[in-house]
Amino acid sequence: MTATLAPTLIRQDGRDKVTGSGRYAADLTVTGMLHGAFRVAEVPHARIRRLDTTAARALPGVYAIITAADVPEVRYGAFLKDRTIFARDVVRWEGELIAAVAAATPEIAAQAAALIEVDLEPLLAVTDLETATRPDAPLVHAEWATYEADENLVRDGNLASRSTIVKGDADGGMADAYIVVKDRYVADGSHAVPIEPRAILAEWQGDHVTIWSSTQVPFAARSGVAETLGMPQNQVRVIVPHLGGGFGAKCELGFEPQVAALAQTAGRPVKVVFSRREEFLLPDHRRERMILELETGVRRDGTIVARRAHLIIDNGAYSMDEPFLGQMAAMFAVGPYRIPNVDVSADVVYTNTQPSGSVRAPTGPTTCWALEQHHDVVAERLGLDPVEFRRRNLVHEGDTGPTGQVFERIGALETLEHAAAAIGWGRPLPDGEAIGIATGWWPSFPGASGANVTINADGSGTIVTGAQECGTGAVMALPILAAEVLGMRPDEFRILYQDTDAGPYDGGASGSQTTFNNGRAVIAAATEVREQLLDLAADLLEANRADLELIDGMARVKGSQTSSVSIADLASQAAGAGLLLGRGSGEPPPTPAVETANCVGRLGAESFAAPTFFTHAAHVKVDRDTGVVRVLEIAASHESGVVINPIGATGQIYGGVAMGIGQALSEGVLLSEDGRQRNPYLLDYKLQTVADVPPIHVDFVDAPSPTGGPKGLKGIAEPPCVPTPGAIANAIVRAAGSRVRELPMTPERVWRALASTNGEN
Amino acid sequence: MGGRFTSPTALADALAATAAGHRPVAGGTDLVVGTRQGKWSLPEDLVALDRIEELRGIEETSGGLRIGATTSHADLAGHPAIRKRWTAIADAASIVGSPATRHIGTLGGNLANASPAAETSGPLLCFDAQVEVRSTAGSRRIALADLFNGPGRTTVRSDELIVAVELSELAGVGSSYVRLEFRRQMEIAVVGATAVVSLDGAIVIDARIAITALAPTVRRVAVAEFALVGTDGGPDAAAEAGRLAAEAATPISDVRASLEYRRAMAAVVVRRAVTGAIARARGETIPIPASASLFGAR
Repeated sequence: MTATLAPTLIRQDGRDKVTGSGRYAADLTVTGMLHGAFRVAEVPHARIRRLDTTAARALPGVYAIITAADVPEVRYGAFLKDRTIFARDVVRWEGELIAAVAAATPEIAAQAAALIEVDLEPLLAVTDLETATRPDAPLVHAEWATYEADENLVRDGNLASRSTIVKGDADGGMADAYIVVKDRYVADGSHAVPIEPRAILAEWQGDHVTIWSSTQVPFAARSGVAETLGMPQNQVRVIVPHLGGGFGAKCELGFEPQVAALAQTAGRPVKVVFSRREEFLLPDHRRERMILELETGVRRDGTIVARRAHLIIDNGAYSMDEPFLGQMAAMFAVGPYRIPNVDVSADVVYTNTQPSGSVRAPTGPTTCWALEQHHDVVAERLGLDPVEFRRRNLVHEGDTGPTGQVFERIGALETLEHAAAAIGWGRPLPDGEAIGIATGWWPSFPGASGANVTINADGSGTIVTGAQECGTGAVMALPILAAEVLGMRPDEFRILYQDTDAGPYDGGASGSQTTFNNGRAVIAAATEVREQLLDLAADLLEANRADLELIDGMARVKGSQTSSVSIADLASQAAGAGLLLGRGSGEPPPTPAVETANCVGRLGAESFAAPTFFTHAAHVKVDRDTGVVRVLEIAASHESGVVINPIGATGQIYGGVAMGIGQALSEGVLLSEDGRQRNPYLLDYKLQTVADVPPIHVDFVDAPSPTGGPKGLKGIAEPPCVPTPGAIANAIVRAAGSRVRELPMTPERVWRALASTNGEN
Repeated sequence: MGGRFTSPTALADALAATAAGHRPVAGGTDLVVGTRQGKWSLPEDLVALDRIEELRGIEETSGGLRIGATTSHADLAGHPAIRKRWTAIADAASIVGSPATRHIGTLGGNLANASPAAETSGPLLCFDAQVEVRSTAGSRRIALADLFNGPGRTTVRSDELIVAVELSELAGVGSSYVRLEFRRQMEIAVVGATAVVSLDGAIVIDARIAITALAPTVRRVAVAEFALVGTDGGPDAAAEAGRLAAEAATPISDVRASLEYRRAMAAVVVRRAVTGAIARARGETIPIPASASLFGAR
């Protein structure tokens, strides 16, 4: 590992969080504050015949009730503007908001919400993914054709988005193949389950509103409020107190407009705090359900010659970022492999269920789980060792990706070799135990981002950033980069973050992009300050500016022990004259050129910028009589460009693996026939506990990317949960003899697979 | 709003409050969690039992044990006599919920909640536990077998408090409680089984087998017990007991598992519980909790 700048960074927010002195949105109270509650549809599809708030308004302690009639009629959505902040005429999923109530206490608000009379005429609900794609299926949005949408979006009725990847001649490749293997996988939806159920507090003063919200993306929340309530962005201030995790579920516009509108109508500040149950039922970001049909043609030597795939992805009732994610899934269905002939399509379809949206590495773990099982099936049919099969097909520097992008320096193969070595691939194991392996890839997301760096009169530093700390430590690690530029220590900086009126724009804790983009911005801002310091020091030391360096808190003539001045002294001088102020954004690196003439639904994911590669190997034990799987050990090797904060990066891998184990074995949304969640509570939505997480061997492969972030780094937050389910799935087959083609691979599903097959593969 | 909350140190005061309609709360791990989950509203009036010294603790009596109602699962699981002579109780108490649940949740609360999935009920049933309940009018004893009326229902009257559980010594028995566990902590019984056996030489002379989460209440399965007596308790006998218990079970399908899976697992879990109890009766070591020790046992 190289470029390690801070082997033991102490997080600035750590003490606040573990001692309880830190404040989260739910902890806040402001003068005159009311409590809000939502009334939701509770049915999957219905026409609103009548909505009567009279009885609810009559309840003592109720201050305001708002519905769609009380807010501007604005349809919004990132790629497809198909939704409103309250239901208008039709409800399309059980969690859709119908009304909001502000009252003196949370109990009165809840009681009043229940008193709102809603007369609903049931409509036929579409919940099954394949049914939704049929021409005769009821339409989730009868008026779909009238919606404003991204011009590259391919849509038709319940089809919200189709993306294809076409390369070479898949039919010809299959015809030439030694064998062709085809199989099918089905995955349930799942949840992000942040430890903090969200809370939103809105307070108006005059024509401007301040919103404290547990969002991962404060700037998207700000622009979303401005768009839906029809106000300029500079009248909306979004502040995020400490955030108790998000994992994607708190991305995009959340419930800020509804609470802001409610507070405006009530004429008082209003706070809404979700219960755990609401955190399951109301958000529009659950991990998508998927059906994956995969087909691969290989030569006798194991070389892949062709890939066909068809994916059906659940969009849910409304479109958040899911239409875009179909294209990501199509890229993952090819995987980091050399495949000359490709024909992949991904259909994102509407259903009357909770909207899908980014949850940590959206579509990644599911597609990798299916593809890497499929690859083991292919290897098995060829009589090839799974590691050897991957070794023969993984991409190298100079190879072209699914859409023709040419790979720069990458370490895909090294991650395979390192993970296999770390787990002891091929070693003998007791009966019922086995090792499985899976490899995957994930893009980085270059984007605009800003930061300001100042040195105060006493020489201490302040970083003001628009970046959002969601618990990963990415924002906490920004001082490492500023400190290196300025010859200071990371602990000499304080960070002001997650206030849209303070920091410049950033895309938020989303897309593993904080260090990649905001790191670049902080370096640019610190570099401006560096220039200012060097100017001052050159005058003071009567030295040539080019001979100076910033080191150990001083500016000094390179190599000299005597000719130096402390940064604190320089700062003190500057305080009376030209202040030490730096602002930075930097230029996002370019995305690779691609060849996509034959592809449709190009929404930006056709080019994987600074892609990261990784392999996990899982050692499991299967209880054959019960189907219960225990993960005994994981080896995780990641090529993430370079790692600048090993504690943070390693922590991401621990957390990603733990999440990956949950996705593999226990986390799944159980839907009733009519599309309602049957397990929206933690007793029966089973997360993995700390007792279930095995030893994890972490390895980083260095391959600095010329088009990466600072020092050639790539995103690290999402990838660690991607290959874990696939590695576990492949281990289950090797331990117990049966392949489980449903996700999560619950004990009952494993047991059924064992019972229904005799070593079928 | 407007509710009354008392937290007495004397049992008499708690009994008076109960008589006045206060709902007792011990660890609150069922009451509060159920409220949050929307199962019920928090009662208006509560009497907390946690400050009443005489309700807590484990006392060795001449004939066995007397366990105070507010004794925590952690205290049960750690008690040397329970671990040695009433091992199935330690198996059960040591896997209730999480470490936090076990330190705050109580035996009396577990019984009063009357869940068909309650961990401690099966072992207590097999050990012929007697439950002492008290009201301002006096006290009475209820055999554990007569305590449960159905899911969430007991024969304890609303003016009564469970004050203690009494166990008599069963000489020379081996016992175990095994639960199907999807994860290693924070688990609830989808299928559980208790076995308590006595050996004469190599032969089973007495057997008690109870099934958990497989019927409206935790219950013993006489047909399986009967089949085990007279055998050597080996793999075939254990499997037969499992088969019979599974047949006698009346499982349901719900979000946790299908009826079919539950019934199949009943056979596995009973078999493992018998295997564990026999091994312990023979003096072999099956570490507590047996569920983890017997994971994957064929």
